Amino acid sequence: MKSRILDALGRSRAGYTELRLRRVWCTTVLVRGRSVEVATAAVESGGMVRTCSPGTGWGMVGFSGTERLDVPVLQAHEFSLAGASRLPVTLAPIAVRQHEAATHLDDDPREIRLTEKRQRAEVLAAALFGLDRRVVSGRILLRDEVVETWLATSEGTWIHDLRSEVSVAALAIAEEEGNVERALGSIGQRGGWRAAAGAELLVLGVASRAIERLHATPARPGRYTVVMDPAAAGALAHRAVSHLARPALPGADPDVLPIGTRVGPECLSVGDDPTAEGLRASSICDDEGTGTRRTPLVQNGVVVGHLHNRETAATTGHAPTGHARAGALRGAPHPRATNTYLAQGTGSFDDLIGGIGTGIYLADTLAAEAAGDQVSLRAGSARMIRNGRLAEAVKGVHISAGILALLGRVDAIAADFSWDTQNASCRDGSAGVVPVTTGAPHLRLVDVAVGEGSS
Amino acid sequence: MIGRILDALAGRVSAADAVVKTDDTLTLSISAEGDTRVSGARSQVSHLRVARQGRIGFASTSEDASSDLVGRAMSGAASGEELELFLPAPAPLPSVVTRAPQAAAADAAVLHGLARALYERLSRTDRRVEAWAERSTGAVQVANTRSVLAGYDVSLAGVGALVESISAESAPPCRIHCAGVALPTLLDVELLVDEVSRRLDPPIVERAVALFDLPLCLGPRAAATLLRPLRAALTGYEAFLGRSPLRGRLGEQLFDGKLTLSDDPTAPGRPGSRPVDDDGVVSRRVMLVEAGRLAAFASDLLVGARAQVPSTGHGWRLPHAAPRVGLTNLRMQPGAESREALLGAMGRGVLIEDLDWGAGANPLPGTIALRAPWAYLVEGGTIRGRLEGVVVSGNVFEALNQIVAVGSDATWVGSQELPSLVVKGLSLVRDR
Repeated sequence: MKSRILDALGRSRAGYTELRLRRVWCTTVLVRGRSVEVATAAVESGGMVRTCSPGTGWGMVGFSGTERLDVPVLQAHEFSLAGASRLPVTLAPIAVRQHEAATHLDDDPREIRLTEKRQRAEVLAAALFGLDRRVVSGRILLRDEVVETWLATSEGTWIHDLRSEVSVAALAIAEEEGNVERALGSIGQRGGWRAAAGAELLVLGVASRAIERLHATPARPGRYTVVMDPAAAGALAHRAVSHLARPALPGADPDVLPIGTRVGPECLSVGDDPTAEGLRASSICDDEGTGTRRTPLVQNGVVVGHLHNRETAATTGHAPTGHARAGALRGAPHPRATNTYLAQGTGSFDDLIGGIGTGIYLADTLAAEAAGDQVSLRAGSARMIRNGRLAEAVKGVHISAGILALLGRVDAIAADFSWDTQNASCRDGSAGVVPVTTGAPHLRLVDVAVGEGSS
Repeated sequence: MIGRILDALAGRVSAADAVVKTDDTLTLSISAEGDTRVSGARSQVSHLRVARQGRIGFASTSEDASSDLVGRAMSGAASGEELELFLPAPAPLPSVVTRAPQAAAADAAVLHGLARALYERLSRTDRRVEAWAERSTGAVQVANTRSVLAGYDVSLAGVGALVESISAESAPPCRIHCAGVALPTLLDVELLVDEVSRRLDPPIVERAVALFDLPLCLGPRAAATLLRPLRAALTGYEAFLGRSPLRGRLGEQLFDGKLTLSDDPTAPGRPGSRPVDDDGVVSRRVMLVEAGRLAAFASDLLVGARAQVPSTGHGWRLPHAAPRVGLTNLRMQPGAESREALLGAMGRGVLIEDLDWGAGANPLPGTIALRAPWAYLVEGGTIRGRLEGVVVSGNVFEALNQIVAVGSDATWVGSQELPSLVVKGLSLVRDR
């Protein structure tokens, strides 16, 4: 493959040419109820060629398959000549890197028979239904993926990488006396087939939450002190900070937090770390071949950095941070978050809730979204906090607020940092979907509107 | 290719079907700074489903290796669902417009003309505008072991923009687009320009305006979002065997008599138009709701086999995913009154041009609490200004049983043709 890629690259007439090729093997087993509904295997290959020349804009061609790689190379150059840029593309310089890491995978999921994967999914489904007779319906989705990547540029960069990951997603639907509740959860782990060996705990947790919600009362809308678990706090950091601490993406909300903006209190520090070991979004270099590095975004409440690819770095006079990520096999790399972290503070979870008379503990975020300057979080499970202790389960907890207003209500951060293991992904504008991880400790916010139409 | 795939299965399976889809997409975008970018993407994806020893297996690939595809589908069947699958036999296909030669042949210069026209018409000193134009062209081939061999060529072209007001009274970014089999015309561009003006130009109304009990009119884009729970409840496994609130209620009068909905893959030149579905089932218009009576659910061969009902021709094969059920072109029968007449009849009310579905909400129960960043106060048929911080809440199924009026302004929003709707049963609240 290397010679074919380099041959195609050698035929380019552009000043700069970049060819990224991926082959993805993936299998999916879906168990609905107690029956296998889908057991499928797919192989997809394809990539993108980007070219630019002095005085031209980008020309980009996505392709499927691995044949005739010279065709997209030549076509991309034609497209770059057809574009009209006010300013020619400028790329920040990077060290030319030669990285060959496509070695043998331990515990390669491709070597596990589909029958064994099916049995594994059926065992997890049995665990889901076995917890309590009130779990009346549910789904288990077991998925594994092996991705081989080749990246070559006319500057001499050569990257060849092979990685795998396994994910399990569970849905439980519980019913009692006509009341129906559901709970969702997932784990995604980088590594071989046994990487998701702990999925039983996830499945039991999902079933338990569905049962718990049967007797949860709707949260009374109002203003509360809110404590977020690490998963919810990480989701907030990702959506409210990482999405805005980078140049605007095509088709995405154009809001950007300028460097120097105060977004929160002194205790608030957020960054993004693609070098964190073993996480799904971690890598030693990004989709442009730039070496990755940990990038502080907010330090002591003030925006101090942005995520960059080579083009946005050159435009703004910064160094590339190694965050160029392609959101699709045939997509262009844009600056995107990888592993967003909320830096830990001091004290324990008990310290955070200890002084709260009436508050809400928000856990298991179902979704975190931003539109314009607003961010919203929907809790998968939540409890009241009464007199410094966790109390009854509540449901319908939804926070919707101005991003800066919400971050400004951060009051305390605990020291119990952990990376979230959910199989999370991030969609942004037309830049596609990338896997992401978040990490955070428990977080406390004061005077937050909770409930329908909150702000 | 498709023949090679099925030939390789001869004598090894009880049934099989295959779909091969090719696509060539060309996109031209104009940034807020006026830079032009051209990009292209080509793909070919082959899908294979086999039935062997009473079990079903799937596989797909974007590579040109049919033997590998067959091997993986056979392996899938060894672990797949136990199900008896009945494949369709060959039948005459309806004539459906799925391709426009001019759109299929559009090059970067043509797309530039379209995007530039929209960009320049939208540009003002108080706006930030990004615009794009895109065309895709390709082909779909469907075949099965009962001798179905069907194919059709497709094209899809669209133009759109993201417009942000940068004036003091800022609104959220406004996304607009139109798409169809043919190239958008300058008239389409003008309609988008008008929509942006309608949405961005009205001044903000004071937050103190009381919203309680005001009648509510939803424009076509807002109606498309509001109908999401209904689409989910009418479709596939959930409708026949799952947790759809409509399950088991076919034939019942569940909605207001003014609601008539159909799904129409034979509509000429729309994004969901096709003469045959991806299971090889011939396309036909399906009445889903007829004068408020629940008339049909949408199914494909798999869901049909599970539920013991015939397919309605709603099978889709998407890249590297299992077959799924989906609507094609959803069409609501328009009423007799113009939009102006609807707004005039409301007296004092609220017009919602677009709704934000938000994150994580399960559409199936129909319970919503949706932000409405494009809501307007209407008095005596005149728009007085934009309302900020409005949330629409209630139950969609109950609201569709309380339709006050349906407009005559049916408009295509992607693959949905919807008019404006005046409904009761939904509450308007302010965020705090």
